[in-house]
Amino acid sequence: MSLAYVSPFDERVRAPEPLAPRPASLNGLHITLLDITKNRGAEFLDRIETLLLARGAATSRVAKEIFSKPAALDLIDEVARHSHAVVQALAD
Amino acid sequence: MTAQAPELAVTGIDQEPVTVRGLIAGGAALLLFVNEDCPTSALAMRNLGPLCLGLEHAGLSCTAVFEDRLEVAIRVARRCGWTGRVVSQSAPYATSRAYGVVSVPTAFLVSRGGQIATRVTGWDQPALAGLIQEASAMTGRPLTAPPATEPLRKPGCSSKAAIDPELAAAMEGNSNGDELEEMFERGWTDGLPVIPPTPERVEKMLGNRDGATSLGVVPPAMGEATLARLAACAVLAGCRPEYFPVVVAAARAALDPRFNLHGQAVTTQPAGQLIVVNGPVRHDLNLNSGMGVLGPGNRANLTIGRALRLLVSLTGGGMPGTLDRSTLGQMGKIGFCVAEDEEGSPWEPLHVERGFAATQSVVTLIGADAPLSISDHRSRSPEDLAYVLGWAAATQWSTNWWPLHEPSVFIICPEHAQMFRAHGWTKQRLREFMFDAVTKPAGELRRGETTPFVHAADPAAHIRKWSSAEAIVLLVAGGEAGRYSAVLGPCTGMGYQIVSAEVESR
Repeated sequence: MSLAYVSPFDERVRAPEPLAPRPASLNGLHITLLDITKNRGAEFLDRIETLLLARGAATSRVAKEIFSKPAALDLIDEVARHSHAVVQALAD
Repeated sequence: MTAQAPELAVTGIDQEPVTVRGLIAGGAALLLFVNEDCPTSALAMRNLGPLCLGLEHAGLSCTAVFEDRLEVAIRVARRCGWTGRVVSQSAPYATSRAYGVVSVPTAFLVSRGGQIATRVTGWDQPALAGLIQEASAMTGRPLTAPPATEPLRKPGCSSKAAIDPELAAAMEGNSNGDELEEMFERGWTDGLPVIPPTPERVEKMLGNRDGATSLGVVPPAMGEATLARLAACAVLAGCRPEYFPVVVAAARAALDPRFNLHGQAVTTQPAGQLIVVNGPVRHDLNLNSGMGVLGPGNRANLTIGRALRLLVSLTGGGMPGTLDRSTLGQMGKIGFCVAEDEEGSPWEPLHVERGFAATQSVVTLIGADAPLSISDHRSRSPEDLAYVLGWAAATQWSTNWWPLHEPSVFIICPEHAQMFRAHGWTKQRLREFMFDAVTKPAGELRRGETTPFVHAADPAAHIRKWSSAEAIVLLVAGGEAGRYSAVLGPCTGMGYQIVSAEVESR
């Protein structure tokens, strides 16, 4: 008689990634706007960008190769190196 | 021995309570205390079991009193050929205790007056023959005793009632005593009952493979697909061990980055993962490529497809309603595996088209929507039939979404295939005919959801439904009678490729 089952799950416990500290103000920060290439996502980012610039932030735009795949590690590294914060847009 | 037979605290198959009074109504009653774990119990049931019907007709009721859950009792009794009544008692086995049963099997003969006349412990053919003879005197009719086959005597096993009550309760298993329900409680299911993945079953599924071998991580939650976990999924799905090489090949293909399982697993689209099986393994496993190929009825098709989907939803965390965000879903997401009817096809099979030898066994993974049936009983030329088939796909993905870049899968039934065979149409000719036939002026497609390509085109320019003929995948499968083919819509926006993997031969 079996004492246990073989789990189909990966039972390893992964430590949750802590959230980065939230900035008190956007003034003077560099914000990257990541377009995931979903339809009309760029329009949404245009509006966000306008609002960010009005609050004194600097912005730049990058895009994923395709919305249905995770972002390339190089792209994530680049965003992490050059940005204080990032905004991803999902639209349809 | 003239003690009164204690009342029974048992559960039977029928709604009516099982009482001593009811059991002796015909003249006398035989109670055989048994449990699942005891080989001597099985021996007693196997030797007495076939006689029970006849004994019952002659006035001696026969009841197997199990110290197991009712569903276990029924299964064991059926396996042993027991033709009498089956009842079950649960821990702490009050009925066994009331009868003073310390080992199983123990047989009791209860007289018409409800008194215990005789007790036989273990398997003891001469003593049981004597018991039957005594019963014969009670019922006044001749009764058949068990034959004097070897072994004549065999000691029994410990009754569960003789074990410490707490230990006995623990041995009964989980809280509600039902393994299948426990699988639901654990969430190890797609919503249908599953086979519990005990170490023994998983070992059998693995064969001599190393369960620690990894096939990579399964998106979206990136659980590692060890062979042991994949085997657990195959057990849960109901696969036989001989199916496992096909499951492994399907998992390898699905986890190939070119297939973009990540996108397919989480999309709001309905698409599932279609597994097409080609080559000799179809016959080895009795995979269905014929009648009802897209529906129920065949264990290999249904469980292989289900095993892959369980890998995605359990190991990969792509469970509908959590990380799987499919708006509607579709039944193909439970599992979708078809074999191609290579023998009935006028064309080279899919795997040969994709560069494999006909003698190789290969699985091919395609992201696919639910099938749309296409009836055509009236076309009298291959051109008309190809037109009807092709245009059936015109509204795929969305009515005015032209062109599609991703593959549509046409499953051509044998009678339709015969039309193309009779006229010497190659697969490529059919594919190109459909590609050229399904076109519309851009101006007619500019309504609602449509593509930038349509908007950019001249309104009079003809737009094709597919961006290339290669986006039309053709398979032959289905029953020999009936002119119903089908087309499976695409999984779009995934930037994915169809991926094939050879099935390992062992």
